[in-house]
Amino acid sequence: MTRQVTVNPKKLRPYDEPPKRRRSLIPSGPDTAATGFLVAAALWLGVSTGLGVLAIALRIIPFDFSFPLLFGLEFTFSERRVDAAFINATVYGWLTNVGFAAVAFMTPRLVGKRIVAEPLLNLALVIWNMSLAAGLASLYVFALGPHAPLTAMSWLLTGGLATGALIVTGVFVMTAGTALRSSYISLWFAGVALLGLLGLLGLNAGLGLLSFVLDLPELTTALVSVFIGQALMALWLLGMAYATLYYVVPRAVGQPLASGGLALLAWLSWLALAPVSALAVLTDASVPFVITSLGAVAAMLLFVPAALTVVNLALTMQGRWSLLFGAGATAFAAVSLAFLLGVSLLQAIGSLRLVHVAVARTEWETGVFIWATYGAFTLAAFALAEHALPRILRRAWGGGLLSSAQLWLAFSGATIAGLALMGAGMAESSLLSQGVAADALGAGVAPYRVVAFLGFGMVALAGLAMVVNLFLLYTSGEPAEYAVPDASAAVAAGH
Amino acid sequence: MTVHTPIETRSGGLPPWAIGLTVLLFLIGGVYLAANLTGDNPAFAIPGASAPAPSGGGEADPAVGEALVAQNQCAACHGADLGGTDNFPSLLAIADGPVSENLQDLAAEYPDAWVALWINGTVPETEGLDRGGMPAFGADLSPEQIDAIVAYLRSL
Repeated sequence: MTRQVTVNPKKLRPYDEPPKRRRSLIPSGPDTAATGFLVAAALWLGVSTGLGVLAIALRIIPFDFSFPLLFGLEFTFSERRVDAAFINATVYGWLTNVGFAAVAFMTPRLVGKRIVAEPLLNLALVIWNMSLAAGLASLYVFALGPHAPLTAMSWLLTGGLATGALIVTGVFVMTAGTALRSSYISLWFAGVALLGLLGLLGLNAGLGLLSFVLDLPELTTALVSVFIGQALMALWLLGMAYATLYYVVPRAVGQPLASGGLALLAWLSWLALAPVSALAVLTDASVPFVITSLGAVAAMLLFVPAALTVVNLALTMQGRWSLLFGAGATAFAAVSLAFLLGVSLLQAIGSLRLVHVAVARTEWETGVFIWATYGAFTLAAFALAEHALPRILRRAWGGGLLSSAQLWLAFSGATIAGLALMGAGMAESSLLSQGVAADALGAGVAPYRVVAFLGFGMVALAGLAMVVNLFLLYTSGEPAEYAVPDASAAVAAGH
Repeated sequence: MTVHTPIETRSGGLPPWAIGLTVLLFLIGGVYLAANLTGDNPAFAIPGASAPAPSGGGEADPAVGEALVAQNQCAACHGADLGGTDNFPSLLAIADGPVSENLQDLAAEYPDAWVALWINGTVPETEGLDRGGMPAFGADLSPEQIDAIVAYLRSL
């Protein structure tokens, strides 16, 4: 029997009080970096979808204004600047934060040790997101020059992004380095994707610095810039989507991966093709024709790793098809795989010379971008968040209504917006070949853009549903324990 | 402490169909590449670049026209040297009159202005003409810029 001691708090002396918990400026607990990146990603999803809605609205009702700021600078709001902000917020804000979260979540679980120097990852989180926020603001102030959207930020802020990527890559290598050879395929995809991101951001910052010091020809800057943009999509975003899907699907269905050989073949073919595929966009008279042809063929053949992955993960799901009818990680991953296959096919078709001549620089490209980023990559990110957040926060998701809303709104919204914009691109191409005037061209594609606006509005609602879902998980989610004692039980429990 | 939870694989081998499919698709890609080894890329449209303004003084400047021809990717259809392709006519001898049948009447009626009118395409004089894929550049270019293009083409 224990004796109850009543304490009058007013009579407590300082040394009777329990020691105060001191919090370090940069947290270092397990999974704090993964949590931070996922929360930052959710916030950026809200920002990027809002900018996307605005960008499509500006195509329907063109509108621009500017006003002076301090130090002779000027704030300029225009369609091109909103477009650039939308693409940067999507790629660097939403999808890259999720990519970093995936690295921080998967790596320790797959190699069996804590992340080396977790506070460094938290530092990277701060550097990355502050540089990005400042970079997005700079898009409305400084001249965009001949840059493609993903390289349009000031070189100084791109240097900040490169520093963030360098820290994440360094921590990944230190944690997984020795175990990488025998580790799971997701880490191979993630490793190459991280190195690709780091190299491309370094190249981007270097290009900006060179442009600042020397007077580089506009054409050179523009060509390097579109190459970087395309390579970021094929190497970084696509690589992390593969890494995430190969991790989440076996975990979510609680079954082993169907074939290690297929996964390895998918990785090898992606590794060989992704960097080369970016050459396809260098369509200038000064670039040898064979170089762009090689890039176009590589872009077409990116269908190979996509098809191998879809088959492998579908075989992994075999026997657990009922999971597809819910709104869990498996359903998100399955829809992501469907989009991945669709985007690969569209890329292959769009890379054919005859098609490319017709649809290049039309809304077709925006439609494919929406399918890739808000279809394939976003749903893979949702799958990761659905799987990882309850395990990180040790809380269970609520009723599932918001998860269902996320799934269906993102799926239908991205499908509708992407198809409408691709239709607008084909209409644009057809009207241009008939030689119609600019007004008639605008009127001809306007109905497609209105449909795209409504579709992307649904994607924005999916983003809002994710933010609310995450908030509710934090504040009112039921405690749940997912930690498991050994490996075999872990697989069975889908940890 | 982090729990080590590896993901098992059911089979480590590579199914023969996967090897066959990969080899087949790479072969198709190789054939496509072999068929596209030579050709011409169009001029790259630099984002945010505005069309060069005419130099002024009333005279159309062929140098401005040359830049506009590159920027508007005329070579994409008319060939890298503007000497024509299977489907699109040469632009090298426009001083001798149009090659295309559908432009004979326009050239007969406007012997000095037919090229500018045809490039413009948004004017009443070209209404009803089959443009055969030729964009109406009057929607994007000013009459002075079109005059500069004509001056450049006549200088070839």
